[in-house]
Parts: sequence; C-alpha cells; structure tokens
Amino acid sequence: MSTWTEADLLHWDEKILRVADDLGLDWHPIDYEIIDYQEMLGAMAYVGLPTHYRHWSYGKEYERTHTLYNMGQTGLPYEMIINSNPSIAYLMRENALYIHLLTMAHCVGHSDFFKNNRMFADTNPDNIISSFKSAAKYVRKLIEDPSIGIDRVETILDAAHSIKYQVPRYPGITYKTTQDIIEGEKKKMEADPSYITDLTKVPLEPEYNILRFISEHSKHLKEWERNLLLIVEESSKYFIPQALTKVMNEGWACTIHYKIINELNLPDNLHLPFIKLHNQVVRPHLGQINPYHLGYKLFEKLIEEHGFEEAKTIRAVHNDITFLRAYVDESFMRDMNYFSYSFKKEKKSLTIDDVSDTSGWTRVRDELIQNTGLNRIPIVYIEEIEKDNTLALKHEHDGRDLELKYAEKVFGYIRTLWGDNVKLISVVENEIWEF
Amino acid sequence: MSIFRKHKSIVDRAASDRARHKKKIDKAIKESIKDVIAEESIIGQNGKKKIRIPVRGLREYRFVYGNNESNKSVGSGGEHSLKKGQKVGKNRGEKAKGQGTGKASDQKGDEYYDVEVTLEELAEYLFNDLELPDLEKKQFRFVSHETIKRKGYRFKGIRPRLSKKETLKRKIRRQKIAEKVGTYDPESDERFPFHKDDLKYHHIKPKIKENSTAVIFFLMDVSGSMSQERKFLARSFFFLLYQFLNHKYDQVEVVFISHSTQAKRVSEDDFFRVGTHGGTIISSCLDLELDVVEKEYHPNSWNIYSFYCGDGENWSTDNEKCLDLFKQIKEISQLTGYCEINEHYRGLADEVDEDDIFYGTPWGTFSAWKNEEMDNLWSKLNPLCDNRFRRIMIGQPEHIWRAFHGLFGGKTAQ
Repeated sequence: MSTWTEADLLHWDEKILRVADDLGLDWHPIDYEIIDYQEMLGAMAYVGLPTHYRHWSYGKEYERTHTLYNMGQTGLPYEMIINSNPSIAYLMRENALYIHLLTMAHCVGHSDFFKNNRMFADTNPDNIISSFKSAAKYVRKLIEDPSIGIDRVETILDAAHSIKYQVPRYPGITYKTTQDIIEGEKKKMEADPSYITDLTKVPLEPEYNILRFISEHSKHLKEWERNLLLIVEESSKYFIPQALTKVMNEGWACTIHYKIINELNLPDNLHLPFIKLHNQVVRPHLGQINPYHLGYKLFEKLIEEHGFEEAKTIRAVHNDITFLRAYVDESFMRDMNYFSYSFKKEKKSLTIDDVSDTSGWTRVRDELIQNTGLNRIPIVYIEEIEKDNTLALKHEHDGRDLELKYAEKVFGYIRTLWGDNVKLISVVENEIWEF
Repeated sequence: MSIFRKHKSIVDRAASDRARHKKKIDKAIKESIKDVIAEESIIGQNGKKKIRIPVRGLREYRFVYGNNESNKSVGSGGEHSLKKGQKVGKNRGEKAKGQGTGKASDQKGDEYYDVEVTLEELAEYLFNDLELPDLEKKQFRFVSHETIKRKGYRFKGIRPRLSKKETLKRKIRRQKIAEKVGTYDPESDERFPFHKDDLKYHHIKPKIKENSTAVIFFLMDVSGSMSQERKFLARSFFFLLYQFLNHKYDQVEVVFISHSTQAKRVSEDDFFRVGTHGGTIISSCLDLELDVVEKEYHPNSWNIYSFYCGDGENWSTDNEKCLDLFKQIKEISQLTGYCEINEHYRGLADEVDEDDIFYGTPWGTFSAWKNEEMDNLWSKLNPLCDNRFRRIMIGQPEHIWRAFHGLFGGKTAQ
C-alpha cells in the first residue's frame, strides 16, 4: 500500500514546480485534494466540479463508473483537474507515491494549458466555482419549491441536456439578442442606404446557440425555466473548450510530465514504475484513438522538429482540429498506423476502408479529424421562426446521417422546450428528411 | 507552492442523484416489463429463473451520427499490418477489436441497463401496480365453507359431545370436597358415583374457513385456425395470468385443456406445443372443465378461475350451448375470462376509453373478414359480462398488458 506522507508530496511538489518554472510554463496555482476512491467516483460523476447542480444523470454516471470499477473493467483516473483559478486537482489516497508524482507533474501541464490555450479565453476560471455554486443553489431552490418540484425541474433539464452541445463551438462568439441585432442592422442601414435587410426574419442569420435562443424566444417558458436553460448553456460554454482540445491538452500534459519527471533524478524505485506507467498511458489502443497517445506523439514530433518554444506557441493557439490539420503528415500517420473503417451492410461486418499508406493516408487523416472532439457531434442550427411560430431547425449535413432514433427523441425535447411546432430538416440516405 | 489538503466533506454528494436515478430505473423497469412479458423466453419458466430486462428510458439522448457507411471510425492498428477491405469486427455498434476502455460519450452507445430480476420480483413489479386493495375485495373473495370448531363447554348438550375429561374433572373435584367435609371416606369400598351435575358437553361453533388454494383452467382452441402467432399471444396471456394468481394464492394448480372439435386434458408442454388442426367446437372444452371440476376440484374448497382463449371462430350451432356452459362456469368460478385473439384488432388502446375496448364490440371491419357461416360468440356472450365474467380481445403483444389490466384492474362493468 501507499507509504507516503504529506511531507513527501510537499518535497516533490517543490521540485516539480521548479522544473516547470525552468521550462517557462505558466500555470494557475494548484490546490490538491486528497480523497479516497469513493470520493473520486463522486468527483468524476460531477466532472470534477465540487459545486455542480444536481441531476439524476450524475447519479447514473456514478453508478456506471462504480460498476465498471468493481468489475475491474476500468481503473480510476490517476488525475482529475478542474479549469479554475486556483486549479483544483484530486489525488487518490490509495495510490502510490510515484503515481502522485506523475499526477502532479501532469496537472501542471493541464493547468498551464488551461491558462494559455486561447480556446479557454472565455471560461472565466476565477469565478467558475462560485458561478457553478450559485447555479446549484438556484436548482436546489426550484426543486424545493413546492409549486415547482423535482419533476418539473427534470423535465426542463433533461430536455436542455439533450441539446447542450448545440451552442457555438469557438470562443469569442457572443450571443446577440434579437433586439441587439435589429439595432445593429438599423445603424448599418442608416450609414449605408443601399444596405437592405429583412428585419422581420428571426433570427436574421442562422443561430447556433439553440439553448439561448429558445430561452429568449419561447412563448411558453416560465422565468425559472428560461433560467435553467441559461444555466445549462453556461456550463456548456465552460466544458466545450475541453472537448475542443482533448488531444492537445492530454498530449501536452503527458509531454510535460515526462519532461519534468526526467529532470527530477528520481531514485530507481520511483523512476522505473513511473516509466512503466507513462508507457501505459501513452500506448495506442487497438482499433481506437487514444488521445493521450496521439497528442503525446504529435507534440514529441513537433518538439523534435521545431523545438520546445515553438511547441509552446502551438499549445497556445491551436485546437485539436487545426492542430491535426496543420501538423499530421504521411510519416506520422504511418507511424501511428491509423486506419479508417465502417460497417458494411453487404459484408455484415466492420471493414477497413483505408490504411495510412501513400494513397490512403490523407483520407484516413480526414476521417481522423472528423472523429475528433466536437466534430463527432452533429451541428444543428435555428433557421428561423416561421409565421405560425414554428421553430425551423436544420442539420448541417456533412455526409454523415443522423441516428434517427436519437434525433427523434431530441426533436421531442426541443418541442417540449419550444412549446409550439418545431421542424427539423436533415438528409437521410441522400433524401431530404423532415422530422 | 501547491496546497495539499485532505478532503473536508464527509457527505456522499452523489447520494441524492443516485437515489433519483434508482427511482427512475425502477420506473423504467415497470415500463419495460410490459414489453418483456410478451417475450418468448420468459414464458413457462419457474419462479427462480432470472430474466434480463433491458431497461430503456434512462438514455440521455443527443444528436449523434448514425451507423451509415459514410460515418467512418478511425483507430490505431498498433503493430499489426493492415489491408484495405480487411474485416475488423462484427457488430454495428461495436468498436473495432481492441482493448482499452475508451469512453466515447458522444457516440451512440447502448446505454440500456440489463436489470436481472427473478420471475417473482417481476410479478411484484407488475402486480403492485394493479391497485390490489380494490381488487382484493372484488375479485378475490376466497371461497369459503363452514367448518365446525369446538369452543368451550356447556352443561347441556347431546350425548356424542360429552367431554369425558371435563366431566371426570368435575367428579374428582366433588369427591375431594366430599372427603374434606367428611361425607365420603376414600378408604371405604363405597363407590363415589357420577352425578348428573358433573356432565359437561363440548360446545361447537360454526366457523368460516377461507381457502387459499386456487385452480386455474386454461382452455385453448387448437383448431386449424389457431396459427403460431395466435397461440403465442394466448400463451403470453396465460403466462401472465398464471404468474398473477400464483402471486395471490398459497397454492395454485393448473389444468390445461385444449380443444378442436373434441377437448382433451393435456400437459403444459403439450398445451403450448402440440400443433393445430381440425374444426372448432368450443363447448367441448367447457364440458370437460365442468367434468373435471366435479371430479377433482369442488367449488367449496377451490377458488376456480377459468380462462378461455381462442380466435372466436365456432360452429354456429354450438354457440347456444357455449353460452349455457359459460353461464355454469361463471357460477362456480371466481372469475371467468373469454379472450379472443384477433390480429385484426388494432387495440386503439391509447385512444379509446378502456370500457370501449373491453366491453364494446370489436370495431367496424371486424365482421367483414369473418366467416359468415359462424356467428359471433363474442356478442352472444354480452349478457354474461359483469365483474365475474370478462371478455377481452388481443391483437398484438402490446395488448396483453392492457387486457390483463382490464381483467384485474378493478374497473367493473355496470
């Protein structure tokens, strides 16, 4: 079992931070919470946030991880860190010292990434804990309010969660209310008489922030229901940068922990198990993409080719999609031995479409990018509110069809929120499909 | 310098969300069971057998991509050398073979729970829904008969009820008193005789005894017109009835009678498996039931339930006789059910008032396909219908639960 003391952690922490400093990293101070495995399960269920609002889905997540863990199908994460200032990270009491060292060095990498990558510019790390806390308080108040109660709160949250990713994906896009838009357009028209827009169309341009739009325009939602939508939107905005940068973030943290630990001159009894653990974390997963592996290998290649300083710039300005698009090349794809596959009806099996050879690697790379982060989530936007108050939605079809069973459910949820007629246009098997 | 601190909180913060989740699962189980009861695999199993129920409704739905061919996945081949066109797995939802527990939370996952329950638990789930208190009064009058129980003693009575023990006790008591006051000397040869006042008699009281044993008669049409699908529906329905009554009574016996033009008492296996052939004379099996009741299950000591299942086709000359026999069966049964399997019946289960479904005549198109030679037993039975005789119609597996609910759900006919 673990034979370490808090003094050990403090001792190594100081050394780790000194190396990080020498590397020129810039991170939020880190608060480590030492917890047992049950608390870790709890922390995981609420994506690490100590002040998340309650919803049954987090109970489900807890049970799921708990079951998998008990069945030996999954380990618990070595690390869990929240994008806040100070960063909150969890260390599991049961773990051995070398795991903690790896975790701590890894966390410095994450915290540095959170602080510097521009995708996180709008995440407001200073206040995130308290803003989640007041949201949690608000939800609790609604649940305890006898005129509202948990069932009605869940109706709204269940529906809102179904479209939680249907918000803008990149920082810097601020939501404009219809009032804002009209005023802006009027100004433009005054300045340039030849500029004409149809101010009766709402929204004027496709609106990707469905949660926010419904909250503003639904004719039936009550005040508290609108507020719940905004709470979900707020939390999406916080989590989306992490989904956008999973490969880079993990790759960077692995790069950093590897660099730091190697500088520590650990005694063999700590260093050898560390190497073993590190290799386990960044190993390829057969038939899947292991973001730790992909990110680590790509940063390794970039540092080799361009140096560590350049890598620091890359970690600041890219997201996963641009990162892969810019730096993955044929030799990298060959090294990673990536292949694309799909289910073939006539063969009744998953079959390889392309492998990373001279003729196929670009296609595999494109599929890789299609399968990265938010590219795995369909884009649906609001086209307009029609005359009879029908909310017209469109799916941006990119060759991949929606899963209809799921889409129908979500469609139902949107109808619940909107309260009036909703329509959704997509393409299924090359035919226009209307829900 | 980082800060290290022990976690302060001792509360299990996920507890309330877990409790809420549990509640939702329970609810989902109940809802899923209605689909599961028509599954072949659970019918005819004994009570301990575990059943896997896929529980839906806990999935968190989002827009996700489907499995069409243009939605490709990407994976690493590790050290393997791979070729285009190579097969890497079988299942649609499945990832290409490999280890690792990649949590693809944005992918369509099979997020249903397989909850394992025993048949007994299943019965609990199912039947707790049925507002049993109301039902108990109406449908579950246990048969009762008078028995006689001794209770206390009286000075008067008939000779056969003389209590020798009490009488003797009184005589001994009198003898001892006599000894004490000196009117009787035990050393003497004189007998101390019984006196009229010594005599005590058992007192008896009638007592009503409830019988907690039930016999169910399952009667099924196996004539040529009963297709496999129809038999399957009948079977599912019988299964549910059996589970339910088993749940209510200490001891349940089942008698299976199948009929075409002749009725035959058969084993459970034969009942469900034997192929169908021949014409239909429903009265034959009703006759046989009455015969079996007379010989084996006296209505005073058995709660009798009779359920007939068929496709409603009968020789018209037989219908009058059936009506008469059904009347007799109704008299001796706690509940008699006449169930018609008719795939033309679409239920309208969710649109029409329950009364219409279970007591109304089947809807319009119904008579059109029916053989004109036979007239309708369903409507003939109309006068019999009350809370001890029910007609139900099943067209699809989904109707089974509704039909069942109609039988026991407490609603009584006017």
